[in-house]
Amino acid sequence: MSEHDFHPRVKQLLDGDLTLADLPPELRAEGEEALRLLAAVDRRPVAFPTMTERVMLAVNTRPSPAGWRRMLEPREIRLRIRPWVLAPALALAAALIIWIAGPRTAAPAPSLVTVRFVLVAPEAKAVSLAGTFNQWDARATPLVRTGPNGTWTATLTLPAGQHQYAFVVDGVRWVPDPGAPAVDDGFGRRNSVLTL
Amino acid sequence: MRPETQQTDADIVRAVLAGDHERYAVLVERYRDRYARYAARMLGSLDAAEDAVQDAFVRAFDQLAQCKEPDKFVGWFFLILRNRCYAERRRSKAQAPLEAADSLPAVDRTDGGAETAERRRALQHALLELTPDQREVFVLKHVEGLSYGQIAERLNTSVPSLKMRMHRAYDRLREQLREHK
Repeated sequence: MSEHDFHPRVKQLLDGDLTLADLPPELRAEGEEALRLLAAVDRRPVAFPTMTERVMLAVNTRPSPAGWRRMLEPREIRLRIRPWVLAPALALAAALIIWIAGPRTAAPAPSLVTVRFVLVAPEAKAVSLAGTFNQWDARATPLVRTGPNGTWTATLTLPAGQHQYAFVVDGVRWVPDPGAPAVDDGFGRRNSVLTL
Repeated sequence: MRPETQQTDADIVRAVLAGDHERYAVLVERYRDRYARYAARMLGSLDAAEDAVQDAFVRAFDQLAQCKEPDKFVGWFFLILRNRCYAERRRSKAQAPLEAADSLPAVDRTDGGAETAERRRALQHALLELTPDQREVFVLKHVEGLSYGQIAERLNTSVPSLKMRMHRAYDRLREQLREHK
């Protein structure tokens, strides 16, 4: 404790827990010094009157915050959740949720569909999505762990049509979505098929 | 549709995400002044504060889809502004270590005159010598008037740790003010 330190009871005064009258006489002077400090606090309002115009000028030049990978308020048309066991030590369940975005007046993209991919993989340390929509790049589309139960999700907006994909668990294990039809990729692996 | 003044933050966030970008102006109007003072006291410069608040609103717009609880927009926005203020303070400290409270209005003739202004200026200088964590808890409690409980909720921390931070801030401010007398 240095010579500059306020007495603990004076700190209570500064916190508003005591009044000057609550302090013993020997602490009154220190208490008055503390109150002078608080009296110098500048509480005057600060206003930036042109702030709104400046912010709106900036945001009007930017892409929509509900852009291609953002979640709109979707209309859910299908939900499938099926438990699936990959190995005794690694319980996985997968689900694919598809939303079709409602009418969009701002973005003229009527052929785009917002899709949410969900994989329940409690043991996984990382999950990503590889498919025809990202050139099968297993690092391009990571899923985010969104809950304590090991639920991993990613939301994409994809063009209408057919897409093939698989989940990639921990960077090495390619897992088809059991909630979707699958096709052989010609190399001994099964790809899930999503038709939008 | 409800008048703008009755629209909740969540109403506006949803409208903006649905494409009505102009509605974002209502949120900016609603909160710009409340957080202008916080930024000004944290940064010790009106210009830096104005830039920080503007940048935080633009960032919040860009990231609006990530605001998971639209009815808590303001708490979410505050954390964006807070990060921006911390980053700006680190940057300005590296570039101009003596940048301080001089750009805040020093004299307000309607409010106590030169002596009050000098005390305020000295305290603002001393505030800038605190760690950002100490300065923040002081500003939120003694400038913004929040209770320890409210600050703890906003910063997702505990009241005892805030009090410890604040009590160190009191000692440091006292030391600074005595040195500059």
